[in-house]
Amino acid sequence: MIPPRFEYAAPKSIGEAVGLLKSSGGEAKVLAGGQSMIPLLKLRLAAPALLVDINRIEGLDYIRESGGFLRVGALTRVATLSRSALLERRYGALHDASLTIADPLVRNLGTVGGNISHGDPSNDLPAVLLAAEGELAATGPSGGRTFRAEDFFVDTFTTALAQDEILTEARIPVPPPRSGGVYLKVEQKVADFATAGVAVQVSLGRESECAKVGIGLTGVGPTALKAKKAEGAMLGKKATDRKAVEEAGELAADASSPASDIRGTAEYKRGLIRMLVARGLDRASQRARRKS
Amino acid sequence: MTQAHHVVVEVNGVKREADVEPRLLLVHFLRENLGLTGSHIGCDTTSCGACTVLLDGKAVKSCTVLAVQADGRKVTTIEGLGADGKLDRVQEGFVAKHGLQCGFCTPGMVISAYALLQENPDPTEEEIKTAISGNICRCTGYESIIESVKHAAKAGRRRKAPSRPSRRRS
Amino acid sequence: MSVGFVDEEQDPDVRFVRGAGRYVDDIKLEGMQHLYVVRSPYARARVLSVKGGITGDELKATMESVGEDAGGRSTVSFPVLSASYVSYVGQPVAAVLGGDKYEAADKAEEVDVQYEPLKPVMDPERSLESEPIHPGTESNLVAAAELGKDFELKAPVEVDETLRMERIAPNPMETKGMVASYDGSLLTVYASTQSPFSWREGLAGSLGLKEESVRVVQMDTGGGFGSKGGIYPEYVVAAYAAMKTKRPVKWSESRYENLLATNMGRGVRGRMKVYADRKGKLKGLKADLLVDVGAYPLGGGAWTAKWIASQLVGPYAVPKAYATAKAVLTNKVNMGPYRGAGRPEAAFFMERMMDRIADETGVDAAEVRLRNATTRRTISPLGMEAPPSRRFFMEALRAFKYSSRKKKEKVGLSFFMLIPAAYGGESAKLAVKGGRVKVWMGGSSHGQRHDVFAKKLVSEELGVPQDVIDFQHTDTAAISGGVGSWGSRTAILGGGALVEASRSLKAAAKKELGKGYSPARILEGDYEAEAFFKPKDMLNTLGANLATARLTKEGNAVVEEVLSFYDAGKVLNQFMLESQVTGGVAQGVGEVMYERAVYSEDGQLLTASIADAGVIHATEMPKSVVMTAAHRSTLPHGAKGVGESPTIGVPPAATRALEVLLGRRFTTLPIEPEKLWALDVSDGGRTR
Repeated sequence: MIPPRFEYAAPKSIGEAVGLLKSSGGEAKVLAGGQSMIPLLKLRLAAPALLVDINRIEGLDYIRESGGFLRVGALTRVATLSRSALLERRYGALHDASLTIADPLVRNLGTVGGNISHGDPSNDLPAVLLAAEGELAATGPSGGRTFRAEDFFVDTFTTALAQDEILTEARIPVPPPRSGGVYLKVEQKVADFATAGVAVQVSLGRESECAKVGIGLTGVGPTALKAKKAEGAMLGKKATDRKAVEEAGELAADASSPASDIRGTAEYKRGLIRMLVARGLDRASQRARRKS
Repeated sequence: MTQAHHVVVEVNGVKREADVEPRLLLVHFLRENLGLTGSHIGCDTTSCGACTVLLDGKAVKSCTVLAVQADGRKVTTIEGLGADGKLDRVQEGFVAKHGLQCGFCTPGMVISAYALLQENPDPTEEEIKTAISGNICRCTGYESIIESVKHAAKAGRRRKAPSRPSRRRS
Repeated sequence: MSVGFVDEEQDPDVRFVRGAGRYVDDIKLEGMQHLYVVRSPYARARVLSVKGGITGDELKATMESVGEDAGGRSTVSFPVLSASYVSYVGQPVAAVLGGDKYEAADKAEEVDVQYEPLKPVMDPERSLESEPIHPGTESNLVAAAELGKDFELKAPVEVDETLRMERIAPNPMETKGMVASYDGSLLTVYASTQSPFSWREGLAGSLGLKEESVRVVQMDTGGGFGSKGGIYPEYVVAAYAAMKTKRPVKWSESRYENLLATNMGRGVRGRMKVYADRKGKLKGLKADLLVDVGAYPLGGGAWTAKWIASQLVGPYAVPKAYATAKAVLTNKVNMGPYRGAGRPEAAFFMERMMDRIADETGVDAAEVRLRNATTRRTISPLGMEAPPSRRFFMEALRAFKYSSRKKKEKVGLSFFMLIPAAYGGESAKLAVKGGRVKVWMGGSSHGQRHDVFAKKLVSEELGVPQDVIDFQHTDTAAISGGVGSWGSRTAILGGGALVEASRSLKAAAKKELGKGYSPARILEGDYEAEAFFKPKDMLNTLGANLATARLTKEGNAVVEEVLSFYDAGKVLNQFMLESQVTGGVAQGVGEVMYERAVYSEDGQLLTASIADAGVIHATEMPKSVVMTAAHRSTLPHGAKGVGESPTIGVPPAATRALEVLLGRRFTTLPIEPEKLWALDVSDGGRTR
């Protein structure tokens, strides 16, 4: 499988990259890790006139906490997330998700920014951002803007980014004490896309009740979904409250709109969502308690 | 016609230069331009790992990297393992334990195993399985491949600490 | 005559780990062009026009039926490039040449093909009531067979079941490919193949050449699993293009093309009914089989239905049996052999019924099988001969520690008979020159390391050390005839031929050297010997598998361990045998859990990547324990076939283990993922 012809540029700065995107008149695509883009090119499902390779831009590969946020540079490789002790300790859902994306070879190149801005409802990081009330920073011709993750995922393969904007950073608010997150994914086989995936982020109150709850869903709608009603159902409830947990699972399944495909029927996927939400709440709460 | 780009890539320790189309895949650059046919192409969906090479020391699928992206970087292919005509210990492990049948996935498997042992000299069986989970083998059922990697790891440990057998394994 | 691509003096494992394997796509010849095939995007359509490239109007060749799946002439001709109508997604309609792969792919986009799409026939169950897919034919029926005699019977236990094995793609890691070059009189083809001689016959037949004008040289071949035994339209087109342009032509397909346009295995439905007494003793068996042969009956469609039916009874004795079998056309790529090729279907159908009898009677599953196992050579009412099997199966149960494992674990069992493809025999040739012995077989390794047993046998027979023996890839110019490597045949037939050739070479040397004869003196001389070996005896052999299943901590059912106990005759190399079997276990488990070809209603292949096709990774592989019973065969080297045993025995055993674990009945392979959870996930996992 051979890609179609395209022009190529490897700018050294974000400004230069944005300029190239702007002047292409919508015919350019950003190349980050390339692990989704290059297969699309090979299958000739994408045919950009220009590929803007942002890998040569310095300063987009970092993981740090500052200003009340965990900040992950867009060019941070997925494998780097897996190796981060900070993530393992405090951002469990993000860490879990990094270990389930594709396979280790793909993770060595695939980037955080690419995984998010591709807008693929089957990608794993968007659900984590939705659960964790994340934000996304982008730079365009007229400067920077910040999106709430909730507003970012518009439709399948469509995000809120303008064609001449580049995602530069993903942010997650530093969680309060007694918080925990988890990402659970059911895949048919290793390296597959999720049949269904669930990210859960909880912060526990004094009585171990859920003071804050975030639930994100992978692969069961046109975009990654934020299961708001399910989150609401758990507020003030404990993860051991079977009835509340079941209701949350039910509401999350209701919020999803999976398609029947080679990975399974829609009903099966809804069933997985119920199961994974219940398990996710349980495990996220366990992590929250362990880290108090 | 798209503009050709001049690339300089250090492949197996040797600087190689060429003018390439932007769309040229690294695996085709290696196979067609440089004649390094050890990296194979087994799929078109970044699934099989037969084309795995080291890019600046990290194992990646060379079918999913553009040759222009490798400009100024270091690539190690299967042909670059071992030295002075001798096999690397990972290659030796695959021979000793017959970690292959048809040989097609072998270069990619060896590179993935090599990268694993660079980072983790004493992997568990689960860690080996995960490390090669981006590489598909249709012939062996993987058992002999896993044994090969274990064999190589053991040889590496012997080589590194012959006089300190009690050294704690990291 | 060596073409010099492969250094055959080097140990293949060493070559492969160095990246020095030489596969078709590694070949570079002066002036070589790359062929790209333009394919139908429709499962069924009229071709209104084709503009650009080599078309079916220019190359009017049709396919020859050769190789493992050869089944006589079909009434439907299979055009190499279709000019009038297409019958499956991926069917070649035109081809273009380019200086490299990139140029060829670009040129393919310029070919303009106009189609008038028609509604495809996708469901084999409805094929016969549908409009014939090939104009001018009367129906979509390809073959119908009736075996045994119909009977009426009332038995205390009567069980019927409809069972299915879905289609699967063979998926060798190296896709199909070849390089053709033509010097004005000889067409030389470098091939990724299981059978250079089938290629020679097929290419010569399709192109109207004499076989002497075609030379086929096998390259290192990255797996085949049945898919590389015969020929495909692309081969004929590439050979034609080389002859037309007088320049070498390479054709090397992508995985996507491989999945669309390579013969697929299985795709068989079996309606089974068994009659038994309350102790599980079989009284009768009835079966009705339906085989989905795809678009053209070249890929084994003509005989597969009958072939499966003939072996349904397996290693058991049953007084009455009656089977009907039909093969029907659909708008899919052809059915063809895939590791086991009919044997797994028969074993799965029968073994599932043995488990049903066990469930209905309450008799232990092993006991039911033992009660029905043959105690002497038996010809079944369906016409297949089985060796006595009871004693072997008792041996297997002991090897498995069946009774104690059954108490502690969720186990599934299978007993089966492997019928090797012994028909046609096989050739081998030895040539001694300059102190080295060159060895060829008529069909040889595409990953099995046949060189290992070949060197051992020749070394033992001639008394020369193994390191002077060079095993050669099959080359139609080097050996006068041959068949191919498939159907668990090469060790038994090629091996037998090697022994015979060695013996005749030794006899010639003895005659010439008289009293001065010694093995060392052979190496000083110049000798050649060729043998064609055709066994006289039945070579059917026996095997058994035990599988265990467990739940992961997430509640998902997986196959944990597979034990194989096979009668491999005298084992030629234990290491290689275990490697073969464990590889087959992976395929067997894959077939139960993951592997399948799924088509949409309009005929598009939905599983069009190697990942979606379900090939398993290291992380999904259960533990494999391989054991052998070494009951020598009557062949000169005592060997028996084994290559297909795991894909025959593992699916029923693993299916049963999962069934026992989950308390659900499974009738279709692969089992859908949603049925492999301990809880009812579709109902929300409330029972957690």
